[in-house]
Amino acid sequence: MIPAPTLDLGAVLPLILIAGGAFLVLGLDLVLGGESEAEKYRKSAVLSFASVGVLAAVIASACTAFSAGAGAEFSPAHPMFQLDRLASFGIALVAGGTLLSILLSTYYLKEIGVQHGEYYALVLLASSGMVLLVGAVDLVSVFLGIELMSIPIYVLAGFDRRKLRSNESALKYFLAGSFASAILLYGMALLYGATGETSYAGIGAAFDGTAPLGVIGLGLLLVGFTFKISSVPFHQWTPDVYEGAPASVTAYMSVTVKAAAFVALVRLAAATFGPVEGLLGDVLWVIAVATMVVGNLMAVIQDNVKRMLAYSSIAHAGYLLIGLIAVAPGDAGGYEAVLFYLVAYLFLNLGAFGVVVSLAHRGQDAERFEEFAGLARRRPALAALMTLFLIGLAGIPGTAGFVAKFRIFMAAVQQDHVWLVVIAVLTSLVSVYYYLRLPVLMYMREPGEAAGRLRLATGEWLVLAVCAIAVVVLGVLPNNGPEDLLSWLRAFDWTRESVAALVAR
Amino acid sequence: MFDANLVSWVSFLPLGAGLLLLALNAAARAVGSELSASVWKGAGLVASVATFALSLRLWTGYDPTIPDYQFVEHVPWLAEWGVNYYVGIDGISLLLVLLTTFLQPLVLLASWNDVKHSLKSYVFFMLALETGMIATFAALNLFQFYLFWELMLIPMYFIIGIWGGPRRVYAAIKFFLFTMAGSLLMLVAMIVVYRLHFEQTGTYTLDLVAVPGTTLPGLLDTNILPGGDLWWRTQPWLFAAFALAFGIKVPVFPFHTWLPDAHVEAPTAGSVILAGVLLKMGTYGFVRFALPLFPSAAVDFAPLVFGLGLAGVLYGALVAMVQQDVKKLVAYSSVAHLGFVMLGIFALNDEGLKGSILQMVNHGLSTGALFLLVGMLYERRHTREISAFGGIAKPMPIFAALFGIVTMSSIGLPGLNGFVGEFLILLGTFRTAPAIASAATFGVVLAAVYMLWMYRRVVFGPVEHPENRGLIDLDLREKLVIAAVIVPIVWIGVYPQPLLTRLSAPVGEILRVMETKRAQAAAAPALAPLQASATEPAR
Repeated sequence: MIPAPTLDLGAVLPLILIAGGAFLVLGLDLVLGGESEAEKYRKSAVLSFASVGVLAAVIASACTAFSAGAGAEFSPAHPMFQLDRLASFGIALVAGGTLLSILLSTYYLKEIGVQHGEYYALVLLASSGMVLLVGAVDLVSVFLGIELMSIPIYVLAGFDRRKLRSNESALKYFLAGSFASAILLYGMALLYGATGETSYAGIGAAFDGTAPLGVIGLGLLLVGFTFKISSVPFHQWTPDVYEGAPASVTAYMSVTVKAAAFVALVRLAAATFGPVEGLLGDVLWVIAVATMVVGNLMAVIQDNVKRMLAYSSIAHAGYLLIGLIAVAPGDAGGYEAVLFYLVAYLFLNLGAFGVVVSLAHRGQDAERFEEFAGLARRRPALAALMTLFLIGLAGIPGTAGFVAKFRIFMAAVQQDHVWLVVIAVLTSLVSVYYYLRLPVLMYMREPGEAAGRLRLATGEWLVLAVCAIAVVVLGVLPNNGPEDLLSWLRAFDWTRESVAALVAR
Repeated sequence: MFDANLVSWVSFLPLGAGLLLLALNAAARAVGSELSASVWKGAGLVASVATFALSLRLWTGYDPTIPDYQFVEHVPWLAEWGVNYYVGIDGISLLLVLLTTFLQPLVLLASWNDVKHSLKSYVFFMLALETGMIATFAALNLFQFYLFWELMLIPMYFIIGIWGGPRRVYAAIKFFLFTMAGSLLMLVAMIVVYRLHFEQTGTYTLDLVAVPGTTLPGLLDTNILPGGDLWWRTQPWLFAAFALAFGIKVPVFPFHTWLPDAHVEAPTAGSVILAGVLLKMGTYGFVRFALPLFPSAAVDFAPLVFGLGLAGVLYGALVAMVQQDVKKLVAYSSVAHLGFVMLGIFALNDEGLKGSILQMVNHGLSTGALFLLVGMLYERRHTREISAFGGIAKPMPIFAALFGIVTMSSIGLPGLNGFVGEFLILLGTFRTAPAIASAATFGVVLAAVYMLWMYRRVVFGPVEHPENRGLIDLDLREKLVIAAVIVPIVWIGVYPQPLLTRLSAPVGEILRVMETKRAQAAAAPALAPLQASATEPAR
């Protein structure tokens, strides 16, 4: 007789909450029904409230798990999912990003005329895949997480189904994504073949860096991940998908997919193979440099704001990769920097896409550069916010973007990767040029014909305000603010605690 | 109430006033009205005058006999990285802070009718800029210095880009990118210095000097040897990274190409602040950071800097001579003047450094005044072509007289401020490099040639253009602005002693630090074998 495995349901509480929430929202959508646009909007608002509630519960459970810090395993006998500090951090990050993008979506969906209730269910399902991914400690659960994350997003990319571009975006993402998944799976198979294990711990113990089978498997695994984080050379889908997908979906996927995939990469790099060294380090070095160079240079020649932000997101993947390289036994500075960078990037990118979403009008995204001309005259607050997010992405001091880059560079210099930092600063000089193009248009050109709507929905204001405050606060006082005011905010300590267990191993 | 945190008050009063105005404006809009343009202008002026008044307490409270930083404030910020809010004033920053707070109200007053649109943003950006400049001069933590050094770019970028001339966008972006290019490499060098300091002392800090009353080491305690074990840990390239950032800002020939564009396209107020204060950030950076942190490299690089400085002096003067546009002429004259300042700094002696710092103030005053005067001409005639003028002295006698005084100050007439600075610089340079000093003297002659020639063509001669006959002379506001600048021009020219006294101690301190560290480096066991082994490929 086979003994029933002991399961710790507490370890998968966030996963249960978010997946259950997805089905709850799906059910609510059926029950509520609605014919006219006004009814649909009301229903959409109810669904978004429900989703926000679910996500708040997920964040709360992640925070509780973080403070407990025990690292509960779902199935101790056969570890698949581990709710340690890194996972809790990742879950809070993903759920936070999802929450903000949902607040951004409700009015936007009405404006572009696709108010279908499935939207919220799909977003929550994708996020549940990310929750699984950030806590996965086994190749099987990693693959499950990646697929559960990707498939709803393929659908979401084509959500504006009457538009050709949206369809194209979905199909392209689906085809390319399927290839990447297949390669990932192949890599996993080879790794299993080389080590006879699927759990990270088992692979880590049995991995032999000189055996070609395992190295090839690891390389193929990396290919799958580089696709998800959109780094060179598997980045070509990014601009097309970002451009074609509805802006709210782009906002959502640009921050959460990257966050989940990078947290998973950190775990993979740290837990399985120890600090990335030797061959793998060199490969990552080349990928990081190519990603920064290609992303930043291509962003310069774009004439579409969404495409520009897509290339900028590629470039940021390059900076994040530096963090993965800049580690050594006992020094997890690079991993900490990656986590902080993900937080900063979440608020910066959601903010920038939030402005794009808030300008969408009558079914059209405000995505051509000319549409931003003279925005400072028509919408001074929106123009100022967009400027803040863009200079933050460029890494100007005083914003979260600078602190994030500074931490990455510091970690890299600690590990003697000075050349990498020099290349990184030179490419970020290029980025200043394209990030400043929008402020130039908004402040230094006469307004063209009036475009964009004149009012913002409450949700949109809320998201922009939260992002702006977070960008400034994380840029000025990320850790240990003045007593009684911001002393609870310990972003550096949180990132350190998140990865402390990984390097101690 | 201000004395406890005087430097912080002076730094953040302008920005605070700007934010308060924004908040009041938002509140007023909520009830359906708006703060009028004159309220914004008036409040901006009041805030900057108040800042100047407060900064005078720095002057009166500064004790020139103490060589250390004064009015020090030290608050942990990101303590685990050694990032602290650390400000303090010595004689060098005192003069530059006062120059900033002095020019700012004048600039706002001068542009009273100049700014035709988006006046609220203009006032806000000007106030934010002032905070950035003062905070940069007062920063004693490298991180904090970098933060304000970069932050300052943003308001200046908008001031050039929104209210500038026809090619303003190009000029604004060029200005931003040039400055960023240098400072990003400085950032890398800064992180390396941080790491080297940790390796030598065991503490993480970006504080330049130790906090008074503690035994913690500061960055100046780091003695980076000329030959480290890896190329990027050696002084020469660290110095080069800092020098590139500062050199672009100064600007040292051949990094000067952004300057004529930015100066010419910027509105009058922007040009005055750019020439008066922003360029000094570069020379100040050399004095405050590059020299004491990397003394051996500074000595090694001195011949190169001499060459570039001399090239700047002569090239700036020659190019200024052929300009058709008054503003461009003044812009190129800045290249020449700053070339002198660079010579004085790298003379690395008491006279040279003192003269250079004094000349930074002088150049701020006289070139600032020149830009103000050119702006006044432009407001009347909407052209700056030298050939469009001639005989201005007849319709505008007061303008002609004030313009004359400022021109004389710029070419270094004895009795006015420019002479004292240039004299000290040449004296200092002569002691280190007589040939360079002799060649630079030729630059003084050239300066007289192009300035006086321009002055003659604009002011004297018959009135050839009928439009110039009816020109109205300066009004009370304009007279007040120029007269206010002429007071210190004459004062420094006649009696520079109070300024020089305040410079003695800090300049001596910098030279002493350099001397000590170089002596230590010379006495240290040679690292040459280590370096040699590092260059061999590892096997």
